[in-house]
Amino acid sequence: MSERTTPRPGQERFVAPLDETPLQEVDAVDVHASPESQWKEIWNRLRKSVLFWFASAILLVLAIMIAFPGLFTSADPNFKDLADSLEPARDGSPFGFDRQGGDVWARTVYGARASVAVGVLTTIIVALVGTITGAIAGYYGKIVDTLFSRTADIFFSIPLLLAAIVVISVINNLYPDRGFWGGVAVIVLALGAFAWPQLTRQMRGAVLEVKTLEFVDAATAIGATRWTNLRRHVIPNSLAPVIVTSTISLGVFIVAESTLSFLGLGLPNTVVSWGNDLAAAQIQIRSGQDLRVMWVPASALAFTVLGFILLGESVREAIDPKARKS
Amino acid sequence: MWWYVGRRVLQTIPVIIFSTLIIYALVFLRPGDPIVGLFGEKPVSDAVRAQLESQYNFDKPFLVQWLLFLKDAATLDFGTSFSGQPVTDLVLRAFPVTITLAFMALTFETVLGVTMGTIAGLRRGGWFDTISLLISLGLIAIPIFVIALVFQLFIGVKSGISWLPPTVGGDWSLNELIVPAIVLGIVQFAFVLRLTRTSVVENMSADHVRTARAKGLSERLVIRNHVLRNSLIPVVTYLGIELGALMAGALVTEGIFNIPGVGNLAYKAILKGETPTVVSIVTIFVLIYVFMNLLVDLLYAVLDPRIRYE
Repeated sequence: MSERTTPRPGQERFVAPLDETPLQEVDAVDVHASPESQWKEIWNRLRKSVLFWFASAILLVLAIMIAFPGLFTSADPNFKDLADSLEPARDGSPFGFDRQGGDVWARTVYGARASVAVGVLTTIIVALVGTITGAIAGYYGKIVDTLFSRTADIFFSIPLLLAAIVVISVINNLYPDRGFWGGVAVIVLALGAFAWPQLTRQMRGAVLEVKTLEFVDAATAIGATRWTNLRRHVIPNSLAPVIVTSTISLGVFIVAESTLSFLGLGLPNTVVSWGNDLAAAQIQIRSGQDLRVMWVPASALAFTVLGFILLGESVREAIDPKARKS
Repeated sequence: MWWYVGRRVLQTIPVIIFSTLIIYALVFLRPGDPIVGLFGEKPVSDAVRAQLESQYNFDKPFLVQWLLFLKDAATLDFGTSFSGQPVTDLVLRAFPVTITLAFMALTFETVLGVTMGTIAGLRRGGWFDTISLLISLGLIAIPIFVIALVFQLFIGVKSGISWLPPTVGGDWSLNELIVPAIVLGIVQFAFVLRLTRTSVVENMSADHVRTARAKGLSERLVIRNHVLRNSLIPVVTYLGIELGALMAGALVTEGIFNIPGVGNLAYKAILKGETPTVVSIVTIFVLIYVFMNLLVDLLYAVLDPRIRYE
């Protein structure tokens, strides 16, 4: 011991010089500044992600397309002239005409509305129901948990596509005439009614983890009620995985809508939508002619879905400390 | 362990009962007289109508109909379809091709998805990782019926390969199912790839992997016994839970490639409002889901030695 308490010849101190250690970085932290919030940190990481900006660019173009379709095309998506049936591209119609003589590009531009409406509304419903039921089940536990989790199990056990087909075929027979929003509402209801359990499970898992953390105990110690704790501390800290899943499933719902249209159970065929155009294009594909009628709406749909999935993936990378590149 | 299995089996009973109730209620709500549908809008004499109504239990209240269905279903008697065949026979005839298709799809997506996901995860940030990310996300973004139609056109019709025909039909053989199986498995292949990649990346930096390296294991052994084994747990869970969805989702693929499977049967029955057939098929899918869930739970113990069932 004794030889370590006295410096060796030529040695001034026992620790490395301050400027060689990362200690000064610790010292440099301003302890009086308020800590950065979780979301600000995530945003700082997100800003540096190429994927995030790529996804944002796609979604920005999409948003402009939905808000101002007139900027992209001057043709009327509902105007059809059978004389134009399957005509090739010409001035003002960069991708030619479909079987009914509708302008392929104009229909693709205007079709964004329906697909995105279905995706966004379904996601909102599923996220709301999933977050609330999952949070209550995970936080209150016991009989409440059993009740919510078993109900979620019941809805989860029925395959989504099959369930949606049953729901839509029932409503189709009850109310055959629906406009744009009526058609959207039916699909949102059919998908939403059976898609929420996935988020319930995820939210429940996150809440179970968060509610045992120390800051929740600390809040209880300074007198927060269970309800305040749930609302102010547990839910905000459990939301991250739910946001990621919701963004990705938004894309999946858009794909599901087009699949339902393909089966003849999508939006009413008076509505301009990618699903309806793709369903109509199958005749051309099946006869092996003119794939253009299909690939224009198909690419628009694929890029939109890709935009949402990439957004979800980049947020996941930014949130998950384990997936981060060190 | 048997105690655990027994408890899990008991827990599935309410799931089966209430999921059939939901579907039964939905199909029941469907307006229109099924007897009129059965006779193709032709007039039906009162005696025949009364006979048929009692045969299909249409004359009884909803809950009684459902309870009678459950009672028969418990003995695997799912009633008769509108065409007069026992539903059990219809389903049994359609089942082998769907099962075969589903397992071919499952093999394809597991083998390719796990292999590519592992390579991407091990060489994270490399070119393979980037390309596989783009491919997998692209596949998720394209509707399956578009992929199916394109494959059917280019592989089935234009390529002229005689053992990969564009449609299947009643007398199916394995080679005819190759293209439909790839189409069916392609979306889940993308999800399996992502999932494997994420969990390989996570496990590569785990403490037990560092320990395995530190004790001098070769890289091969570290990856096989310590990284892969742990990474496969979420993948197995995903595949197990999604098998039912895969078979139900097969109705699009089955429709396009003209495969006489369960999905096709379900789709036609839903459109006709044939309650017994629809509910029976959904019940079977629910049973598959419940069974696979149980199997996955038990597989956990094999994959992760830390898990023991009391």
